[in-house]
Amino acid sequence: MKSEILYPGAFPMVRVELAAGETIKAESGAMVASSPTVDIESKMEGGFLGALSRKLLSGEKFFFQTLRASRGPGEVLLAPTVPGEIVILELDGLNEYMVQKDGFLAGAESVKIESQMQSFSRGLLGGEGFFILKISGTGALILNSFGAIHRIDLKPDQEYIVDNSHLVAWSATTSYNIERAASGWVASFTSGEGFVCRFRGPGVAYIQSRNPGSFGAWIRQFIPVSE
Amino acid sequence: MNSNALCFGEDLPATGMPCHVEVSAVGLMVRFGDVAPDSGGPPVPFDALAVFAGGLNHDQLVVRWGNGSDARTVYLKDPALIRAFRAAAPPDLTRDLEATAAKVRQARMRQRTVWAVAAGAAGALALVLWLGSDLVVAFAVDRIPPAWEQKLGEAAYRDFLLQQSVVREGPAVTAVHDIVQRLSEKIPDNPYTFEVAVVKSDVVNAFALPGGYVVVFTGLMKKAESGEEVAGVLSHELNHVLQRHGLERIVKQLGLAAVVTIVLGDQQGLIGLMKQVGVELLTLKFGREQETEADVTGLRLLHRAKIDPAGMIRFFDRLSEQDKERVEILSTHPMSESRAARLKEEVAALPKQMPEPFEFDWKTVQGALGGSESVRP
Repeated sequence: MKSEILYPGAFPMVRVELAAGETIKAESGAMVASSPTVDIESKMEGGFLGALSRKLLSGEKFFFQTLRASRGPGEVLLAPTVPGEIVILELDGLNEYMVQKDGFLAGAESVKIESQMQSFSRGLLGGEGFFILKISGTGALILNSFGAIHRIDLKPDQEYIVDNSHLVAWSATTSYNIERAASGWVASFTSGEGFVCRFRGPGVAYIQSRNPGSFGAWIRQFIPVSE
Repeated sequence: MNSNALCFGEDLPATGMPCHVEVSAVGLMVRFGDVAPDSGGPPVPFDALAVFAGGLNHDQLVVRWGNGSDARTVYLKDPALIRAFRAAAPPDLTRDLEATAAKVRQARMRQRTVWAVAAGAAGALALVLWLGSDLVVAFAVDRIPPAWEQKLGEAAYRDFLLQQSVVREGPAVTAVHDIVQRLSEKIPDNPYTFEVAVVKSDVVNAFALPGGYVVVFTGLMKKAESGEEVAGVLSHELNHVLQRHGLERIVKQLGLAAVVTIVLGDQQGLIGLMKQVGVELLTLKFGREQETEADVTGLRLLHRAKIDPAGMIRFFDRLSEQDKERVEILSTHPMSESRAARLKEEVAALPKQMPEPFEFDWKTVQGALGGSESVRP
């Protein structure tokens, strides 16, 4: 499997080349176009209950679609719903990533996806919801973001602070705590940040340059109230 | 050689360097993938290692040694490897580890407890909202200023009157205004200015919109045998307004979201919501409890205004014996046995007083309407 990002920037697309018989898992609805040799199968990753729990708990789509080059080699074009960059990670079987539920776009068949419950405080205040995806295995993992995607490298014990809702993915070797942005409650909220996540390395964190929730709030003011 | 762990350090990539870790009797053998198996350095002795639990969920074994830029941190997550390490490492190293593991278990337990408590609290809150929704609604309604209510009622009132033939003047209009005047004088701190319209229609009904807009149909006035009977109906309707029953129904219909909006102070948003249900305002049905409340407070108001409260009971009683289909007011105000009994009880409980008759002559008022005989099916 070979993948390549087309039109990098706000409206990118991924081209994935599949060898005969090869498959790729993608978020349902992500396929834009494909060769006629590629078949779309809807598959419930982790069985029916696994898919159901993922749907109910993490809000991730019930089905992933599986795209299979069943009649010879072919290519698939994939794109996310929201404007924003795409990043391709190569999993080596050792690195595991935690991905917030909207961040997953596609992954090789050998990539394993599980739903994981966060601790209560992280779920409530971290901005990623109570459930996140834990992604392990080997092969390409394709993530999408809202806005540009930025990678932060953390050495052992190095710390970094990320505003909640800006997280896309982070390695399982990092840990993070939720804390107030400023020292006082009032200052935390008047600063506009509220809660932040304090990450501690080693590992990497991928963050997005736009906050989907804030963008939604901003756009809401322009939607007229129906008469 | 398969890598089974990730090694981190100042000069290594942030995603970690894949490495192969093996536990020997004296320490930890760490080899990197590109190095031949026999060329690995000497094992790192156990006494040079520091061990703790790490990773997002504290489920990885972190082994650290060295200082400064040569410091190495290895993350182990393979259960077999962790077991081997714990078996081979000297007790003083694993003692800390046992303590750490206990702490992790404790943290997990605490996390589960927090979840259980949170789920319980959410359940309890849902139950409270379900059982106490009336209280919540009442609280939300209290926060809506009468001015908003008035705007809302006025819009529906004007819309309604546009489609009706309104009686502008004459004895009927004077009589209705007299009644409302006498009643509203006896309402302490009345935030509303009542506006009453007499609408030409055979419908036997009257209704009140939020904010103090009252409509009386001539059909009702023709059926009434005295001014006191009409006063009874009007007093009941005015009390729906005063108790803000219309608003309560709207808030209930709009649901909890609206309640939250109001409580948080966004009444502007509520007007938007209300516009959507404005049409439904005219078909708004009150609940049984609201009817009873309007009955009781209506009777007391009649009493304060020195209007004979028996008129109200007589009117409903008499109508309910007649042909029910044509009398619309009964569809929203069914005169049950219990309701009549309740009303009579209330009247009996009020102190006796001499009612003061109205200044208008009821027969003249009815005469101006064309007489009760002109009601067509």
